[in-house]
Amino acid sequence: MHAIQFVAKRLLLMIPILIGISILTFAISNTIPGDPARLILGPKATPEGLEELREEMGLNDPLYVQYGRYMGGIVQGDLGESTYSQRPVLNDLLRYTPATFELTMFAMVVTLLIGIPFGVISASRKDKLADQFTRVFALLGVAMPAFWLGLLLLLFFYLKLGVLPGSGRLDGGMAPPDYITGMYTVDALLTGNWPVFYAAVMHLILPGITLAAVTIGMITRMTRSSMLSVLKSDYIRTAYAKGAPENRVLYGHALRNGVMPVITLLGMAFGHALGGSVLVESVFSWPGLGQYAVNAITYLDFPAVMGVTLLIAVIFILVNLIVDTLYFFIDPRLKHD
Amino acid sequence: MLLNVKDLSLSLKKNGKYATILDHVSFQVEKGETVGIVGESGCGKSMTALSLMRLLPEKARLNGEINLLDENIANYSKRKLEKIRGNQVSMIFQDPLTSLNPLQTVGTQIEESLILHRNMTKEERRTRVVKLLKDVGLPRAEELVNEYPHQLSGGMRQRVMIAIAMACEPQLLICDEPTTALDVTIQAQILELMGEIKRQTQMGIIMITHDMGVVAEVCDRVIVMYAGKIVEEGPVLELFQNPTHPYTIGLLDSIPKLGQRKQKLGSIPGTVPAPGNMPAGCRFAERCRHTMAICRTTVPPMFDIKTGHQSACWLFDEKGGDQDGVVRSDELETALHH
Repeated sequence: MHAIQFVAKRLLLMIPILIGISILTFAISNTIPGDPARLILGPKATPEGLEELREEMGLNDPLYVQYGRYMGGIVQGDLGESTYSQRPVLNDLLRYTPATFELTMFAMVVTLLIGIPFGVISASRKDKLADQFTRVFALLGVAMPAFWLGLLLLLFFYLKLGVLPGSGRLDGGMAPPDYITGMYTVDALLTGNWPVFYAAVMHLILPGITLAAVTIGMITRMTRSSMLSVLKSDYIRTAYAKGAPENRVLYGHALRNGVMPVITLLGMAFGHALGGSVLVESVFSWPGLGQYAVNAITYLDFPAVMGVTLLIAVIFILVNLIVDTLYFFIDPRLKHD
Repeated sequence: MLLNVKDLSLSLKKNGKYATILDHVSFQVEKGETVGIVGESGCGKSMTALSLMRLLPEKARLNGEINLLDENIANYSKRKLEKIRGNQVSMIFQDPLTSLNPLQTVGTQIEESLILHRNMTKEERRTRVVKLLKDVGLPRAEELVNEYPHQLSGGMRQRVMIAIAMACEPQLLICDEPTTALDVTIQAQILELMGEIKRQTQMGIIMITHDMGVVAEVCDRVIVMYAGKIVEEGPVLELFQNPTHPYTIGLLDSIPKLGQRKQKLGSIPGTVPAPGNMPAGCRFAERCRHTMAICRTTVPPMFDIKTGHQSACWLFDEKGGDQDGVVRSDELETALHH
């Protein structure tokens, strides 16, 4: 009951947040110097042609009228037409989002599988060699620029060793699996298409690790500090006093208590990875939202920029909502309050 | 002999230096006996308890012998210790509010000891958990199994802690201030429960407390600790009627007694010396009103007062007074009269 109220409240809160974001993005994109009409018609455009196109695109109307028109469309599910691809923005988003979502989810799984155990080991071996190693590793991950790490990985694993593919989502000439979710690994798995599944996973590794480097660092550090304080608790001493071995105490008693702040951070990390995909997708020619956004900004394709921004905002808010709802399953104290 | 502790010394690292916390502590606990360890905060009584369980910080230095049923567990490996903890030796801690895992049900937490030490089926464990909850006097045991610590009161939580400790029927139970965090009526109930458990089992109990009332209630024998050393030891009645060490006298003097109108409660002037900065001789010398020259130079051994009653004070040395020219009988007179 409590949880349902909580979710409903948060969903309602999404509306003002999204309105705020849309106003901000709309204002920013329209103050960028540059003329979309001129970009479309090219350098040989006549002043009359330009004026005509501006009038047609509604660029001559006051900003608030343009904004009102845009929001009116959104309410009806119309995100406008991309001035660059000449297709409805909604179609473009549906086409590019699965690739980015797949990459981000992969990075999150890698983050969890590496970040949490690293944090636990680091905390339980405080100030010892394993701790020093993981701390340096985490710091490197956080400090290293994604595009640079991506290039290094490409140089080493793709160019030098040739063990991993360096660009795209599948090997050249390979047909994508039947469209179900748009995520190649999931679709290949669902249709039992093993060669494509293998290729899709291999293609995910380098961009996935590049994207995960920062979030692994974030999660490791948070897990470490949270576990350190939990390990000082009286109930940890009780567990040892019962004769529980160290691993049972660490993973059975301490981790569940220590994972709360990590989960909150995980929502943030997801948003970070979503934003980071812009750079990583460019390095690895990953045909996702990030690349689409870069193109949209380059061509002053305002409807597309707006669409990407709002979509990322919605995903980010929803992921954080899911993450916060997890508390209700982990902490029994919230259920009874 | 259930437990025989010999010359137990403990140093902990603090600010890069090792400081002595326990200094040659020796005592015994027989089967079915309850031994109280008393002293003010920082005297090392809790550290004695944690040493017995070997639940010390990693950089602790422990010397001496801890003989549990003639097996010295002082240098047992981690794995061997895990077999003893919660099985042969159990511990109850001071604060029941923080000593239970907030995310696990009461049943799960009691059951864990059984999973670790007993070869039982799930149903057998379940039955045993319910029985344990009933044994420690908790109502609605069947429902309680599925409840979380935050749904219980402090007294109930301490009963759950006792149930956890009793799960594998240990031979030795160590209680570290088990009633300090509870309010007075609950304290009495918990002490009553402890007394009942004591009568029903042949368990040895070590009761660590700063509360002389608790000692009088449940203990057979008392050990008085001061600044990491045992200063006096004796049967509970004897020690209350005939305390000999000036520190014990001061300690007993600081308790209000019914029917005795006193202007002011007794207090001991000064403070406990800091670990790592202990005086050469008797550690109580700075605060004692009977200090002699020898007290400042030489650590007093335990002197026999009566059978089973010993005191670490130079006042009771056969030739102590003669050594530095102080008339011993006078000193003793004042000390005992106080």
